[in-house]
Amino acid sequence: MRKALTIGFAVGCLLSTVSIALAAEPGSEDPNNWPQYNRTTNAWRYSPLDQINKDNVGKLSVAWIAHGGDITMGLQETPIVIDGVIYSISSGDKVAALDGKTGQTLWSYEPKLDPINKKVLFSPYSRGVAVGHGMIFIGTVDGRGIALDQKTGQEKWQVQLTDFANCHGCNFTSPPVVAGDMLTFGSTAGELAAQGKIFGVEAATGKKVWEFNTIKQDPASWPGESGKYGGGGAWMPGTYDAETDTVFYGTGNPGKDFVNSEREGDNLYTDSVIALDPKTGKLKWYRQEIAQDVWDYDAPYEVMLFKKNGKDLIVHMNKSGFVFVLDKSNGNIENIWPISDLKNFVKDIDRETGQLVGRVELPMNKETLICPSTFGARSWNSGAYNPKTGLWYNDVLDFCGYLKPVDQKVDPKDYGTGHTGSNDFGRLVMAPDGRKPGRLSANDPFTGERKWSYEMDVPGFACVLTTAGGLVFNGDPMGKLQAFDADTGKVLWNFNTGSGMRGGIVSYAVDGEQYILVPSGWGSYAALLMPALLPQLEKVPAASTLIAFKVSK
Amino acid sequence: MRNIATLACAMLVLGSAVERLHADEMPNLKDPKMISAGHDVFLEKQCAHCHGEDGKGGVNLARRALDAKGVFVSIADGRERNGIRMPAWREVMSDQEIWEATAYVLSICQTNR
Repeated sequence: MRKALTIGFAVGCLLSTVSIALAAEPGSEDPNNWPQYNRTTNAWRYSPLDQINKDNVGKLSVAWIAHGGDITMGLQETPIVIDGVIYSISSGDKVAALDGKTGQTLWSYEPKLDPINKKVLFSPYSRGVAVGHGMIFIGTVDGRGIALDQKTGQEKWQVQLTDFANCHGCNFTSPPVVAGDMLTFGSTAGELAAQGKIFGVEAATGKKVWEFNTIKQDPASWPGESGKYGGGGAWMPGTYDAETDTVFYGTGNPGKDFVNSEREGDNLYTDSVIALDPKTGKLKWYRQEIAQDVWDYDAPYEVMLFKKNGKDLIVHMNKSGFVFVLDKSNGNIENIWPISDLKNFVKDIDRETGQLVGRVELPMNKETLICPSTFGARSWNSGAYNPKTGLWYNDVLDFCGYLKPVDQKVDPKDYGTGHTGSNDFGRLVMAPDGRKPGRLSANDPFTGERKWSYEMDVPGFACVLTTAGGLVFNGDPMGKLQAFDADTGKVLWNFNTGSGMRGGIVSYAVDGEQYILVPSGWGSYAALLMPALLPQLEKVPAASTLIAFKVSK
Repeated sequence: MRNIATLACAMLVLGSAVERLHADEMPNLKDPKMISAGHDVFLEKQCAHCHGEDGKGGVNLARRALDAKGVFVSIADGRERNGIRMPAWREVMSDQEIWEATAYVLSICQTNR
């Protein structure tokens, strides 16, 4: 009897822990699901589930494993989970719905892709799907938007948004953003001879309503013909803020990446945070973080939203590692702080004006050591913010690269050659002071004050997860998945996933049980370029695997 | 009938580049001028992006044993192996340019040591 009561009480606690909705707390809404790329509209990547916690994380074990099919360029997605169903996208834009308890496939969909995608630099991967209005939405690597029925996977509509055949690889490698009745799709550009655009599409019908050119039509910003192939784009998902009906995007870098002699303006709206009206595409405001960039310091990373001391704030990391704290209503600067002291491309960024101070220019045909490297002080994999600790967890990259600008012909149909003004993409080298090449860093998101840091021989390239269980989950390219104490950085658990991680670790609950879901499948340009710095990465096996963990009963 | 004709045409097109690998007019891949021109192509088309300016980058060619046919086809049609992908360059690069790049790659790989 006592045993039965104990079990009953334990189950009761279990269910209540998993199902209590802390709707009043930002970041805690819809606790059992992972309904969008960064989970919540504030883009925190925080799961309010606490069934898996510091006390029992050591008992975490595999619940199921599912394979995604093609392994080309790895598994870069953040899976979406709604009401116990996982919506996943793997190489070649293959979409599947999986049972969250078993990993079994409920339906799958694979679009027939334009063969040109074989020639394109950024293909054939995707970083996720979007869900809304009873549909699954994807942006494809051949420039289409496609909607599928959420229950069956049947195609509902599709629309060609970019002139894929004639535009240097204008495609989508990220999911659209569901912004009310609209969808917004951000295209790749940056390293391509193109003008990157954001498209507004009716969610119900697929009808294109507007497009926003991230290359401003302004000769002061782009002298002469320099903006024709100016790059930019918005290749990671934006953040939709229903409170102000605004979609925020970070934009890509200007082209040619390392040559600024032909584009002597500020090159708007590259390397910027932009605020758009999702119904019209009208620009509400912008904040350029890096003017006339020559170091490949894009700004497409997650736009995080906060309310602090009566202010509505944005926290946004630029690839350079400088974090911009902005007024959400107008983009005014509240603070700027660096995630790493390994930086030499400028002496500093003015906290009042945002002006670059003491920038290092790149002479043609000569190598210049620039820190951080073209991978940035963090790659595109999102960090995670935990409201319980007040800390923001990021995979910091602490290495450098030699950049050498050279003359380069422009051929818009040369889909495979980056429009970078270089032969390579920077010759990667370790930091001159001999520090380790990466670390997981826990910082105050507003001031940058560091609480703890965990150094790594191989830096992390997966999106971080933090939970109400007081945990931080992080994966590395060698396949090591680790759970950390969110307060102290102490390693509490680890597991070898068999391949490196590049996607987003998420958490969800179904039928009273919390799961940690991990995409494992080393790929992307990091897999191509990083072995030059870290030879051990050359031997990492490829995969396209989802691994679900839960605490054994 | 139409399908057979289409298939035959496709086979001719597909086979032409590879057949030429064994033909008398196959360029001399050890010609220093060919190798030098190949290095220019290698840099211009940013093969160095993944392979490094000297072929010893992230995807290291200098440590591999390669053959002319394999290199030509890999450049022309692209390559997917162990999860990483190289774009296809046919129609972007001419056959001559692909031969030149092939000559350079062979000059730095293990086969030539």
